[in-house]
Amino acid sequence: MARHVIEVRGLTKTYSPHRAPVRALDRVSFTVDEGQFVTLVGPSGGGKSTLLLILAGLVESTTGEVWVDGEQVRGPVPEKIGIVFQDATLLPWKTALANVEFPLDLRHVPRGVRRERALALLEMVGLQDFADRYPHELSGGMRQRVAIARGLVQDPRIVLMDEPFGALDEQTRTKMGQELLRIWEKTRKTIFFITHSLTEAIYLSDVVLVMSPRPGRILDVMPVDLPRPRRFEMMGSEAFGQARNRIWKLITEGEG
Amino acid sequence: MSRTQAVRIGGLAAALLAWEGVSRLGWISPIILASPSAVLAAIRADGGVFLQAFEVTLAEIAIAIALAWSLGIGVGVAAGSLPRLGATAGPLLSSLFAIPLIILYPLFVAWVGMGPASKILFGAASGFFPIALNALSGVRCLDPRFALVARGMGATTGQIFFKVLLPLALPAIISGLRVGTSLIIIGVVVTEMLASVGGVGFLISYHRTMFNTGHVYLGIFLALLAALLVNRGLSHLEERFGRWRILEQTRA
Repeated sequence: MARHVIEVRGLTKTYSPHRAPVRALDRVSFTVDEGQFVTLVGPSGGGKSTLLLILAGLVESTTGEVWVDGEQVRGPVPEKIGIVFQDATLLPWKTALANVEFPLDLRHVPRGVRRERALALLEMVGLQDFADRYPHELSGGMRQRVAIARGLVQDPRIVLMDEPFGALDEQTRTKMGQELLRIWEKTRKTIFFITHSLTEAIYLSDVVLVMSPRPGRILDVMPVDLPRPRRFEMMGSEAFGQARNRIWKLITEGEG
Repeated sequence: MSRTQAVRIGGLAAALLAWEGVSRLGWISPIILASPSAVLAAIRADGGVFLQAFEVTLAEIAIAIALAWSLGIGVGVAAGSLPRLGATAGPLLSSLFAIPLIILYPLFVAWVGMGPASKILFGAASGFFPIALNALSGVRCLDPRFALVARGMGATTGQIFFKVLLPLALPAIISGLRVGTSLIIIGVVVTEMLASVGGVGFLISYHRTMFNTGHVYLGIFLALLAALLVNRGLSHLEERFGRWRILEQTRA
C-alpha cells in the first residue's frame, strides 16, 4: 500500500467579503498516493483553484486540514510543493533560464548550482536552445513548459497544476499533455492537476476527482483503468468513453 | 554629415535668418518679438547671471524630482499592494490631485520662505500625486497570481515587493514619472515667476516687467533646455527598464 503523500480532511472554505458569505468548498476529503497523477475536474467557477491554493498553503481553509508528506500545511512549503499556473506567470523581464532559476535565487542558492539545475530542467522540457529567450519570444506552449521547469526546480515531491494548458489551442494542449506525462514518468513526482476538460482529465490521470459546482464537493473518486503509457488513440476507446460519460453524468446531475 | 542633418541645420539657419529679418524690418514691435541678435545681446550682457540662475533652477528641479519620485513611488506601491491602505489612500490621493496646488503656494512661501525651498516643495508636491497614483494603479492591476506564485516558491514579503511587484509595475510607474516630472518642471519655473528671488523663472518675470524681451527669450530657452535635459534622462530610463513591456505589446 503506497503512502498518502497528500491527505485532505473535511476541508471547508467560506469567503465572507461583505454581506453574504460564499461557500467555495464543502467538506472536501481525499488522499493522493506517492507518485500518482491525480486530476481534479469540475465546472469553471467551482472551488477548484481555491482547493489548490489551500493545498499549497497560500490560502487558509475555514475548517479542515491538509497534510503533506506527514506534516500539516500551515503556510507555503516550497521545498515540498511546486506550483504551475495557467498563463505561466513568468516574469517578463527575465529569460527562460532566469525564470527557471528564480525560485532558487529567492533562496540564495549559489549561481553556479542554480544555473546547472535550471539548464538541466530546461533540457528536460526540450527548451535547452531557448534558455536566453524572453517569455514574449516564446510560444504559449513553450512558456508553459518553462513554467513546468520552474515548478520542478526546487525538486518538490508534489507539483500542483492549475489548468496549466487552459489557454492553449487543442492541438498544443494535447501535445503538452503527452509531454507532461513523459516528464512525470521520468521524475516520478506526485502531480495534482486541475482542469475542466474531461478528456484531459481521463487521458492524463491515475485517479480523477470529480467536483460539483459551487460549493465544491468531491462527487466521486474515479480510478482510470487505461494502460500506461497513454496513447492518443486511447481517447477513442470504449473504456475512455465510459469514463467520460460517468463524469459528465456526475457533474450535470450535481447541477440538479 | 548626413543628408537629414544637413537639411535640419539648413532649415534652422533659414528660420533664424527669417526671424532676424522680420524683426529688422520693424513689422512687429521688439517688445513682442525679440530678434535673435537681441537674445545674443542678452547673453553678452547678462550671460553669467542667467547661467547662475539656470544652475539654481536645475538644482531645485533635481531635489524636487528626488523627493517626488521616492515618496510617490513608495506611497503608491505600498498603497497598491496593501488593499486596506489602498482603499483609504487611493481616493484621498485622487481628490488631492484634483486640487490646483498653486493655491497652496502662498502657504509654502510662508512656511519656508521665498528661496529655493518653497519652489522645491511646490515642485515635489505637484509631481508627487500623479507618480503615486500611477504606481498605485500599476501595482493594483497586477495579476494577483504573480504574488501567489512567488509566495509559493518561498519568497519573503520583501522579495515579493522588490523582485516581483515593483519590476512588474515599472512600466506604469515610469509613465507616472513622465507626467509627474513635467509637472515638477512646470511647478518650479512657475513658482520662480511668482514670488521669488532667483532662478530662470525669476529672471523671465523680472525682465518681462522691464520690457527686456531679449532677456525674456533667453530665459525661456533655458527653461526649455531644462525640460529637454530631464526628458532625455526619462527616455533613457524608459528604454532601460520599460523595454520588455514595449516588446511584449508588439507581440500581441
